[in-house]
Amino acid sequence: MNTYSDQLASKEELRRISRARRRAQFMRRLPGDIVKLAIVILFVFPFYWMISTAFKSYIESIQTPPTLWPHTFTLENFSAIGEMNIDLPMYFKNSVIITATTIVLQLLIMIPAAYAFAKRDFPFKGVLFGVVLLAFMIPGQLTYISIYLMMAKAKLLQTLWPQILPFGANAFGIFMLRQSFKQIPEEILESARLDSASEFQIIMRIMLPMSKSAMITIAMFSFISIWNNYFWPLVMTTNEAVRPLTMAIQKLRDSGDNAIRWNVLMAGNVILVAPVLVIYMFASKKILKAFAYNGLK
Amino acid sequence: MGEIVFHQVEKSFGSNKVIENLDLTIRDGTFTVLVGASGCGKTTLLRMIAGIGPATSGQVLMDGKDITDLEPGKRDVAMVFQNYAIYPTMTVRENIEFGLKNKHIPKEVRDKRIQEVCASVGLTEYLDRKPNTLSGGQRQRIALARAMVKEPKVFLMDEPLSNLDAKLRVQMRVELIHLHKQLKTTFVYVTHDQVEAMSMADDIVIMDKGKILQQGTPEQIYHDPNNTYIAQFIGSPAMNVLPLDAENRFGFRPEAVQLTREKVDGARYCRKGVIQVREMLGSETLYQVAFADGQTVSVKMLNDQYRSGDHVVLNVGDNQLYFFDRDGQRIRRAAVGDAQYAALLQTAGGMSDV
Ligand SMILES: Nc1ncnc2c1ncn2[C@@H]1O[C@H](COP(=O)(O)OP(=O)(O)O)[C@@H](O)[C@H]1O
Ligand SMILES: [Mg+2]
Repeated sequence: MNTYSDQLASKEELRRISRARRRAQFMRRLPGDIVKLAIVILFVFPFYWMISTAFKSYIESIQTPPTLWPHTFTLENFSAIGEMNIDLPMYFKNSVIITATTIVLQLLIMIPAAYAFAKRDFPFKGVLFGVVLLAFMIPGQLTYISIYLMMAKAKLLQTLWPQILPFGANAFGIFMLRQSFKQIPEEILESARLDSASEFQIIMRIMLPMSKSAMITIAMFSFISIWNNYFWPLVMTTNEAVRPLTMAIQKLRDSGDNAIRWNVLMAGNVILVAPVLVIYMFASKKILKAFAYNGLK
Repeated sequence: MGEIVFHQVEKSFGSNKVIENLDLTIRDGTFTVLVGASGCGKTTLLRMIAGIGPATSGQVLMDGKDITDLEPGKRDVAMVFQNYAIYPTMTVRENIEFGLKNKHIPKEVRDKRIQEVCASVGLTEYLDRKPNTLSGGQRQRIALARAMVKEPKVFLMDEPLSNLDAKLRVQMRVELIHLHKQLKTTFVYVTHDQVEAMSMADDIVIMDKGKILQQGTPEQIYHDPNNTYIAQFIGSPAMNVLPLDAENRFGFRPEAVQLTREKVDGARYCRKGVIQVREMLGSETLYQVAFADGQTVSVKMLNDQYRSGDHVVLNVGDNQLYFFDRDGQRIRRAAVGDAQYAALLQTAGGMSDV
């Protein structure tokens, strides 16, 4: 027996109540969902615009009002690039070498540096970390002249090194990885020391696997910024043989008539970002997993 | 063998001296429990044995060899940390195997040991799981297995049961006692819980503010405490300690009292009182008894005879009375002689009001 039996709703009423509750919940979430959708559109639209323009004819690409998707779908922009007598494979190879070497170099410097800043004590640690942060905040536009002169003195201008060496120390990466290393409880490292692990083993077998999400974030940012770098090769190189893909894409724009052929340029951009997209597609599951991973507290 | 000796050990963190002039011998093969309030330096001592927080000065010896500054990986010790310190990205097997691999122990030996240890702690079916898919109790077993598989001379455990629920804690307590009986190696076990200390230890070391107050078997510590701190730390509820005269105090344990309606013949200290609070715990009942002068004492009885408001007489015999000086140090019969001790008993008896 329930003392409040007159307060209890019938099955019919319970169903109605839960329907109303769901509706209220939907209305409460609606504004937030709209904002999220707007943000997605804001980010995705330029991308969409690049891809759709890449498949438009020249006339359609400059038409007003612009068409939202190619009315006459064409691949001729890509064949136009092929016919333009630009050695794309060479530029592509340069981009791959520059990006891969820079990232390897960054890892070699970043991992020990982050370890030292996170888990070791040494004189002037605070000041030195300040220097790292400073490097993180100084834009390349401030340093390129002196670096150019340095590279010229070292007689490296005809090589790929001017595009690799200045990015060897990834200040953002050191900062991110240090944060991640700092979160690893001291006991875990002590436990590993009791398990006779060397400091190198501790970094490789314990700290790096526990910092997977930071590593992936850093590598992604690094890859995208080096792969897409335009300013630096523009000011550092004079020789086509050492220029990356971004510079080749630039040529597509120049080599038209007076008018800029946006459709061809966008086709070139699709070629440029394709590797980024392919890597993301293959890695996206892993990336999401890395971010969802949380260690034992 | 696994005997640990601390000789004149000191430890400071910056200018904060946490441990001073400490001497301690942990006998080979004993289950030694370091017990004391939080912050008294138990973990600090344990870390010195492990080599992960070396002494500021003094020596730590293991089987006569100075290990004060030896690397942790080169000592024959294994440690179970309070929060287990499991490697979260490794499977259970990899966790357990890590220390063996680093010591280049051959694969067949590793596999055999892992199999044996995991069978004994009940992890066999979880060997390929990641730790975050296991319960707190199972993670605790990983930490234990990881220590056992190394077959160390000395096991170090820092409050290993404090993150488990009450029931599992009692179960693990029994398992650890059993484990020690099997392995016969030295266990150094840190806890702030006097019940854990009493139930598991061969040897209890009671610490306070970086000093060792007393070392002895659970029986010695319980029946013959050195001072009021130990007397009140060990046993639950704590020993009743009351003023005796201008200088001294005296005490008796709640479970060493006879609570009756009439005075008991031969009892030394007999007081009239009223039951203020009754807590019936099943097998035993706790009472708060108030005397006419406002003092209250705890009493623990096996029978549940009285109710709040009942008038009772509290009786304590000669052998149940403990005396302490103004600093809280124990006054023992052997130290002061029969005559003076009799005088103390006389004073306590003189406070009877029945
Ligand atoms: N790394 C450290 N830095 C500074 N002080 C510490 C450190 N570790 C412990 N202490 C201090 O040393 C004292 C003893 O600590 P600890 O051995 O952990 O106590 P317990 O394990 O008995 O609770 C405490 O006062 C604590 O604040
Ligand atoms: Mg502690």
